[in-house]
Amino acid sequence: MTTHDDLIVHLARFGAVLRAHRIGVGIGDEIDAARALTLIDLFDRAEVRRAFRIAFKIRPRDDAQFDALFDSFWTVTRAEAPPPEPRRAARIGDTPPRARADGDVRAVGVDDGRRLPADGSAPGYTRDAVLRRKPFEECSARDLAEMERVLARLAPRWAARRSRRLTPVRGRGLPDLRRSLRRAVATGGEMIALAHRARPLDDPKVVVLCDTSGSMDAHVKFLLAFVLALKQIARTTEVFAFNTSLVRLTPFLLPGKIGHTLDRLAADVPGWSGGTRIGESLMEFVRAYSQTFLTPRTVVVIVSDGLDRGDTTLVAGAMRAIRSRARRIVWLNPLAGDPRYEPTARAMQAALPFVDRLAAAHNLESLERILPDLAA
Amino acid sequence: MPHPSRDTAVNPDIESLQHAMERVGYVADEAIATAVFLAREMRKPLLIEGEAGGGKTELAKVLARLLDTELIRLQCYEGLDVNTALYEWNYPRQMLRARLAERDGRSASEIESLIFSRDYLLERPLLRAITRRAGPAVLLIDEIDRADEGFEAFLLEVLSDFQVTIPELGTIRAEHVPHVILTSNRSREIGDALRRRCLYLFVDHPTLEKEVRILRLKAPGATEQLTREIARFMQALRRRRLSKAPGVAEAIDWAQALVRLHRPHLDVDAVEETLGCFLKDRHDIDDLDRAGIEALVGDARRIEA
Repeated sequence: MTTHDDLIVHLARFGAVLRAHRIGVGIGDEIDAARALTLIDLFDRAEVRRAFRIAFKIRPRDDAQFDALFDSFWTVTRAEAPPPEPRRAARIGDTPPRARADGDVRAVGVDDGRRLPADGSAPGYTRDAVLRRKPFEECSARDLAEMERVLARLAPRWAARRSRRLTPVRGRGLPDLRRSLRRAVATGGEMIALAHRARPLDDPKVVVLCDTSGSMDAHVKFLLAFVLALKQIARTTEVFAFNTSLVRLTPFLLPGKIGHTLDRLAADVPGWSGGTRIGESLMEFVRAYSQTFLTPRTVVVIVSDGLDRGDTTLVAGAMRAIRSRARRIVWLNPLAGDPRYEPTARAMQAALPFVDRLAAAHNLESLERILPDLAA
Repeated sequence: MPHPSRDTAVNPDIESLQHAMERVGYVADEAIATAVFLAREMRKPLLIEGEAGGGKTELAKVLARLLDTELIRLQCYEGLDVNTALYEWNYPRQMLRARLAERDGRSASEIESLIFSRDYLLERPLLRAITRRAGPAVLLIDEIDRADEGFEAFLLEVLSDFQVTIPELGTIRAEHVPHVILTSNRSREIGDALRRRCLYLFVDHPTLEKEVRILRLKAPGATEQLTREIARFMQALRRRRLSKAPGVAEAIDWAQALVRLHRPHLDVDAVEETLGCFLKDRHDIDDLDRAGIEALVGDARRIEA
């Protein structure tokens, strides 16, 4: 086996390592990387790193992780030892073997359900997070089906913004010269009827940030079902969950069974039902995702009761940053369903100046009422 | 970048490219030079992401100058469609020709093949880049993130085959595959399929050394002291929490403004008068009070002394 062939094998393994750490690379990227290697100086480590970053298309948010993986993987390879098996990262999706997680899990989960972690922090992967696999069986299939039905009925009214692109229509809109001319050929260049173009309806753009901390437990299932139904209509909807840290849920939201998806989420998201750090979580969103997901058309929906023990100046800072990039901020607060509710929670107070609409979110009817606010 | 290293690349090809780029007015670090080198050698489009004012568009212009070829630019915007990007028929001419042919007693099918021929086709940037006869052009697809996702899918097709199909004419294949550069300000995520089709480069704010070199090149009238102070000021400013951090473009504008105002070095008054050159957000301007400016200027000047 030539050195180059060896290199290709290692390259493929490295691709697998990146994938195992959720840095999305495909076979095409590996081919690009292999081609790049033939063009550069293989013994210049910095150059190989740069070329890989370009050929594997590493996003800036994955930079740090890529560097770490590159260092650990390619050092060992150099020493002619077999490259290490992809080390599994302790993060979402990597639940321990079922046998360990079953059995006593439920009992612990119920016991701990309402309790905040001792120090209110502990972001990331904890054993508790795995143990808190919440059964969503209380959420009846009928509730969910009803929700989807209502949303489907409201959708056409909701998506009322028109795109700027033009597509062919019958009988109304702007004249479409190209199609008119093609028709005119049949009548010797005489335009008998004009073809038309008009602007189609645009999908609303929605980003949902959902608090999944312990104090939200009673509502989360219901609200996420709503969010999932929403995603059926507005396909570009992005969904994030936060408690002590922020997790992008969109990749987990598969079309099909909502109940099943919810079960998976409870199992996979670290710190589900834990404490809250609204400010840190929102800041994390601003830092890592706002560039990508916020546009002047985006409506940001924050679902939270605002009960938080963290730094409220962070809340205000993050809200201001979101406000400056998005079209509108809607805050859904399950507590606001109570007529005596006053937004007195400290985090809520800090966020309020930047919220365009604070609305209740305790039943389907209240959610239905905010739909017009979500239109693009 | 987490791994700052030497000023110039070791690979002689990349190093000479780096020097050549600097000669035509672009300071490229190793990452940029490597990306351009690989894109050129591998014949792949290069997708460049980064903050506004980071020199993404400029890179395409420099590449065209370097290769001594034409720069064909497609500026993307929401609602951009095939008619603006690829081709459009010349309707008035077509209509006129159809009338004439009709008078001559031509048949409908004859007229059709007559008016839907290359002569009546208006070439838009993509088609022009593909059909250019005098060697490959540099095709700049600027701010792809502003176009609709549907357009992205269409672009994917063009970039994979470098051929376009016009229903009335058939398939047109590229004479020369152009050098393609796509830029994005990341106002939305670029689809995975398109990213995969390209090589990828993220242009971050420059390091202090790089910014000094850029300013020397772009604002040659500034004194060495002013240049270094501006660069240090910008570096410190970017570390603050700003709504809109100034890019290199802003630094260059500012340096040129200060040269016009005949300032040999930074002082608080000069900065205050010219804030608008590099801060483009009202909140940022409000947040930077005189005390803040004094601190920044002080830091920028102290190291000099």
